[in-house]
Amino acid sequence: MLKLKNVTKKFGELIAVNNLSFQVEKGRIFGIAGPNGAGKSTVYNLITGMYSCLGRIEFEGHDITGAPPHKIARLGISRTFQIPHIFPSMSVEQSIGVGNRFGAGGRYEPGYVNNIISILNLETVRHQGAGELNLLGKKKLMMGAALATRPKILLLDEPMAGSNTTEIMALMELIRKINKDMGISIIIIEHFMKVLTELTDTLLIIEAGTEICCGDPEKVTSNPIVIETYLGEAYAQSNQS
Amino acid sequence: MNWKNMAAIMAAIYGIMAMLPFFLGKTNFVMHILIMCLIWAVVASCWDLIMGFAGIFSFGQVAFFVIGAYASAIVSNTYHVSPAGAILLAGGFTAAVGILVGLPCLRLKGAYVALVTFAVHMTLEPLLKGDFGRAIGTGGSRGIMAIAPLKLFGVTFSSADPVPFFYLTLIFFIICTLIILFVIKSYWGTAFVALKDSENLAASLGISAFKYKLTVFALTSFITGLAGGFYCHYVGMLSHRLLGVDLFVTLMVMLAIGGIGHYPGAIIGAFITVTLNELLAPLGTYRPLIIGILIILLVLLFPDGIIGLVQKVFTSKADKATKPVY
Repeated sequence: MLKLKNVTKKFGELIAVNNLSFQVEKGRIFGIAGPNGAGKSTVYNLITGMYSCLGRIEFEGHDITGAPPHKIARLGISRTFQIPHIFPSMSVEQSIGVGNRFGAGGRYEPGYVNNIISILNLETVRHQGAGELNLLGKKKLMMGAALATRPKILLLDEPMAGSNTTEIMALMELIRKINKDMGISIIIIEHFMKVLTELTDTLLIIEAGTEICCGDPEKVTSNPIVIETYLGEAYAQSNQS
Repeated sequence: MNWKNMAAIMAAIYGIMAMLPFFLGKTNFVMHILIMCLIWAVVASCWDLIMGFAGIFSFGQVAFFVIGAYASAIVSNTYHVSPAGAILLAGGFTAAVGILVGLPCLRLKGAYVALVTFAVHMTLEPLLKGDFGRAIGTGGSRGIMAIAPLKLFGVTFSSADPVPFFYLTLIFFIICTLIILFVIKSYWGTAFVALKDSENLAASLGISAFKYKLTVFALTSFITGLAGGFYCHYVGMLSHRLLGVDLFVTLMVMLAIGGIGHYPGAIIGAFITVTLNELLAPLGTYRPLIIGILIILLVLLFPDGIIGLVQKVFTSKADKATKPVY
């Protein structure tokens, strides 16, 4: 469905993403992890056209390398941001409506927007200003606006950050629902390894923009290089016990 | 503000304006003020659309107005095109200039857009006054005298008989302000606000910043150019002095009084500012001082302008439950 072939991104001397290749199959959940500054969010910015890059990015067989973000969104690739981005001048319902009107569907469907609001459990705040929501509310709103575009693949950037255990469980359930019930493929960047191992079908670990390991999450998390460079011995021991 | 409230305020403005000549039509000076109120209200509304709603800090609105005025005067005087045709051509020409100015601005944000657009404003005066200006018919420092009055269906609309010109301007004002209202309340307006709030999020949801930003530049400069054309055929003469800081500041005051991004506040702001300017004229040099103090007080006490204040007072649950338009 989505293929990255030898993708490289440089910011001056800094190589943010180095010859990275991976592919995401339709209907799957693909995880990306790595230390801070590893280039995870940059990968999202490359896929969604926010940055230009070397190499090739394909979506459903079409070359989308260098395409502008709005065109990529209309093809069916949608995303959330690590730091919540919202429309402070709009209500929750209006914000989700923006995704529905301008996204892949290209028209406003009130029923679809209501459905998204209901799935995300945002009914009670639907007329509230987007800026008035708490962190979790803003993250859900971003997810809602992205889902309203009718994406084929959804890119989630650290959706669990700043959430407590109950919220994490609820978000995991929500992501599973989006994947299974709505048939949307998902790429998720996350630091919580437990979330990634439980949620994803394939896990990619990157450091300094370079792939360290990619494959089955259980195998990846027990890989000695991954433990050494990212997870640490403590994680490996706690996992064994 | 929702559709109904906006439409109600605008209908009230249209109704009151249409009635005023019945009471004030005999005084040419008052009619002149009313005509200027309508013309500046159109310009201020355009500025509000691009700055208040689309969030583009364009400081080129006065320049677009002057470009429209000069273009219409030159086309009409030099090429003997009818004033009505000249106004339309001037609108088209100003829109083209707007797009040319808008293109580099698409790569810039905030204060840098203000700098580029204000640079256009600054460049225009020497262009109009200099050899280039004289060559294209701007009249150099002297300006353009004796611009033909507007003629439509055999009727001449001139400043000598302001009532017919007032009604013509009122029609122009109604058309322009309704276009702006429909744009604000359509999905175009939604796209403008989304881009203003978060360009990255808007783009990730499928909104083309290029398309919508360029469109707002083209539309606002087109309407402002038309207003400039209307102005020049009404006043009958043009000078580069329009580019002085006075008009620029006065337009900003109109927005500040009405409330930036609180349409139709810009219209009310224009009416108040033009009227206040005239009422305070007997105070001479104290006029700008008093207006300055009033602006400081207004901005400090009511940062969202008059419409913002009214909204605050009358905000109800029904307002919050307004359906969005897509």
